[in-house]
Amino acid sequence: MESFLEQNSIYIVLFIVLTVWTGIFVYLLNLDKSLKKIEEELGDSLNEK
Amino acid sequence: MYWKYTLFVLMSFVIVAGLSFPIVSSPSVWYEFPLIPGLEEKAKIIFFHVPTAWLSVISFLMAMVYGIKYLSKKNLDDDAKSNAALQLGMIFTILATVTGSIWAKFTWGAFWHWDPRETSIFILLLIYGSLFALRSAIENEDKRARLSAVYSIFAFLTVPFFIFIMPRIMPGLHPGSANDTNSGPVVDFQMNANMMLVFYLSLTAFTILYFWMWNIGYKTIIIKDKLSKKLI
Repeated sequence: MESFLEQNSIYIVLFIVLTVWTGIFVYLLNLDKSLKKIEEELGDSLNEK
Repeated sequence: MYWKYTLFVLMSFVIVAGLSFPIVSSPSVWYEFPLIPGLEEKAKIIFFHVPTAWLSVISFLMAMVYGIKYLSKKNLDDDAKSNAALQLGMIFTILATVTGSIWAKFTWGAFWHWDPRETSIFILLLIYGSLFALRSAIENEDKRARLSAVYSIFAFLTVPFFIFIMPRIMPGLHPGSANDTNSGPVVDFQMNANMMLVFYLSLTAFTILYFWMWNIGYKTIIIKDKLSKKLI
């Protein structure tokens, strides 16, 4: 695996692109989670009225 | 609205160009990148790793700017903006560290070397990591916002030193170190016009992406705060 990557180092760059994408994706997941909580709270307060 | 489509086109171009444009020893066609001794194909990391480090500087700068704004106007929305910028800054600093150490494994032989560049980003992680500990330790939101604003101002004072100065004046392994004869400073001398173009387009695309993420991030925090106080 390592010698393959050393000879075809474009795949290392590909790994790096995937890492950056993973980081952005994790941020989006967390944002989605807090938005869902807001939605739930809003839903409760709307039902109360 | 158009800027979102511009971002899509720009980022797509950067990913395609960054991964697929060929590296040759003497470029003759516009899309060819020059061969940088010691970096070869791995030089393409510059289109994806450097923007993450750049965004961490922008995020910490925005955190400081909105920290100052909070201190002068005492508006908690500014604290939310500063907080969202801090979160993004942390994510991009971690990304810069991880992508850098993947690259280091194949260029220098191991994931971590305590090179000046690695040491300085590690200290930055510690400095900003403790800011999150500080924020979560204080219940009173005005006090939290005030302390966090002051801390983010002082913390940002170290950023130019750790990112731009220290790794450049000390000898090390990272491209652009004081004793680097092969590839540094990569940005100034070794890149041709095409590589420069893709690099700056990449910085632009990542900066637009950052402001979009930041915008959605602080809006969520502000709505969450207001909701918890039943203002809406």
